[in-house]
Amino acid sequence: MDTEATAAEADVPELDLVRQAQEGNPEAFDQLVSRFRTRVFGMIYNMVHNEQDAWDLAQDSFLKAWKSIARFRGQSSFYTWLYRIVMNVTIDAMRKKQVKGGGAEFNDEIQLREIDPASRTVPHADALPHERMEHKEIRGRIDAAIAQLSPEHRAVILMKEIEDMQYHEIAESLGCSIGTVMSRLFYARKKLQNLLRDVYENV
Amino acid sequence: MKTFEEKWTAWIDGELNEAERAEFEASLENRAAAELEKNQTLKLGALLKEQLQPRAMGNEEFFHHQLRERMAAETKQPAASSSAGTRESWWTIRRLLWTGATSLAAFAICTFFVLRQQPAPDQSQYLTQILNARVDPSVNPNATISIFQTKEDRVTVLWVDGLKSLPSDYAAK
Repeated sequence: MDTEATAAEADVPELDLVRQAQEGNPEAFDQLVSRFRTRVFGMIYNMVHNEQDAWDLAQDSFLKAWKSIARFRGQSSFYTWLYRIVMNVTIDAMRKKQVKGGGAEFNDEIQLREIDPASRTVPHADALPHERMEHKEIRGRIDAAIAQLSPEHRAVILMKEIEDMQYHEIAESLGCSIGTVMSRLFYARKKLQNLLRDVYENV
Repeated sequence: MKTFEEKWTAWIDGELNEAERAEFEASLENRAAAELEKNQTLKLGALLKEQLQPRAMGNEEFFHHQLRERMAAETKQPAASSSAGTRESWWTIRRLLWTGATSLAAFAICTFFVLRQQPAPDQSQYLTQILNARVDPSVNPNATISIFQTKEDRVTVLWVDGLKSLPSDYAAK
């Protein structure tokens, strides 16, 4: 597990920090935040594709974790437990935003042919260096494709492909069964394959 | 593992044991197409992994500072309210009970007066006027009034006998 804390801080076992945080020690919780903030922020960013929203949701997630850390019983890893909070906060926010925005997103039926290749989600080739432009373009295509998935499908595919989480860890994080995780993964992959076939075939 | 989707996903991710894998692969109608599909899924996974690596969070110190402030505010808030909380909860329950009982009594009193003043819903204004009317014995000494009423059919028959003249204040309004 990658950490972001200093060497001295990294020496403290995770569970010790959790116990100290459960006793009300904010410094211990601060160290936990340091360890997980980049992964949490990155995960949320890949879900919402907006830096400010990702920042706010990461704040809300950690604050919620602090408020409920006394209820952490150690039955799963702290990271899995934290991810459950992160996913709840993020998916809830996305649903609310979808309701406010009129609900045009997350249509799992949308196929590749319905995406305009010249849409604004695909950056244009300006005066950028070739590789950088290509990377941005690919990233833009991936973000646009992921944006077509429902929040639950996004969460599953990101946790599996980016975080390398096991099925049972994903299931615990999302509060669903392993079968549901596998089924969602099946459909999310199919959808992304349809949308990104030309990208991964040419990279 | 029951559904095709679950088996397929486990097959892609290498989560099937030898026996399960052999059984699943034997069940595939077009093994070559399935292998191609698997290969494409793995390519997709590699692409996502390469492109979506966690980006560094900007202003990390400010993130911590802001979070610490919010945590401190959360810690203070319950502490301040907890001491008064237990004492106030009883007051709140008693206040609720008292308010409920008072409201119920006020409602009962109002209902009583309103119902007393209102005529029965199936009785018209004219019928009330007729029923309240009295024949002046000096004007019509032998007059008798009988009323027959069938509420189911909403019919009222007024039988007047021996009436010489209609009282002046008896005109229908």
